[in-house]
Amino acid sequence: MDGIQKAIRIRDIREISASVIGMLLYMYLLFEIPFPMTRFASALSIVWFAFVILKLRKSKTRHITCKLDLSVRGQLADQEAAMRYQAALLDSVAYWYAIPPFIINCIFVLGLGNPAEYNWTNSLAESILPLSMNLKIGTITGLAFFYALIIWLNKRAASRDIKPILEKINIIQDEWEADNESNG
Amino acid sequence: MLQKLEINFEQVLEENKHKIFRICSIYAVNPLEPQDLFQEVVFQIWKSFDGFKGQSTINTWVYKITINVCLRSKMKLDKTNQKTDRFESIHFTPVDEEIDTFEHENFKYLKACISTLNETDTSLIVLYLDDLSYKDISSITGLSENHIAVKMKRIRKKLLDCIASKMK
Repeated sequence: MDGIQKAIRIRDIREISASVIGMLLYMYLLFEIPFPMTRFASALSIVWFAFVILKLRKSKTRHITCKLDLSVRGQLADQEAAMRYQAALLDSVAYWYAIPPFIINCIFVLGLGNPAEYNWTNSLAESILPLSMNLKIGTITGLAFFYALIIWLNKRAASRDIKPILEKINIIQDEWEADNESNG
Repeated sequence: MLQKLEINFEQVLEENKHKIFRICSIYAVNPLEPQDLFQEVVFQIWKSFDGFKGQSTINTWVYKITINVCLRSKMKLDKTNQKTDRFESIHFTPVDEEIDTFEHENFKYLKACISTLNETDTSLIVLYLDDLSYKDISSITGLSENHIAVKMKRIRKKLLDCIASKMK
């Protein structure tokens, strides 16, 4: 359990840090890039990063508690609730962590236009951003694979790391409840 | 205030170390040793000591933490089978009491039979063997006294059958 707790804490720190950096990057792009659709996507990205931070901070309150002075039954119920929450969080990653940013990134990439039309010059941005159609298709395909990998990794983590612990907790809970029916 | 807390913690540890070690000995399964579990329990009692509100007796509170830590450690071990780090500063060596060979044999059988029980039954029999009332066991486990009575009847029978077969 402690290993899982540590892994969850590290994941949250990593994701929240990445979200803060992402927010700063998209804030810069929002003010720097002149293309309206891309600016709209940058604003959406900032909102999405804020949502990720809030969601992970909320999940922090649902971590396994260290209230070891609860009754054994209470402690098991506590652990079960926390593990169920984590399993649901990982299983639903497509809906809150992968598909929304994929759509936003698609809007961002497709919204990139010709810098000359906007009298925009930024050599760094021009060398990084996929401005041609071929680069746009390549970037969107790459993003699709990237987010598919994220979904797969999270689903694997849910079934490989969280569900066995949940099953073990449920077995012990069933053992506690056994004989209760015969008790009437 | 801190000093008072430390003295109290030491008193609690002094009064309960034998029973904590006894419970740890029953839960410890190779490669986890009783000493490792004992250290973890002591550490968790120290960590939670501030949170003791006096809603139950200190003994019941210590039992709750001990059983919860033992169960959690077992879950962790089942999953990762990982090694533990041992701190020499938290070390307890129980003094061997004078036990005759017959009693020693009986204890060996009892321990062997307890190891065949599941986690729940182990927790209950450990508390029962420590002479706790059903009321205290109920407070520690969260089960009703009636439920515990039914379970204990079944566990006692299981243990008696097991020990009898070993003594033949």
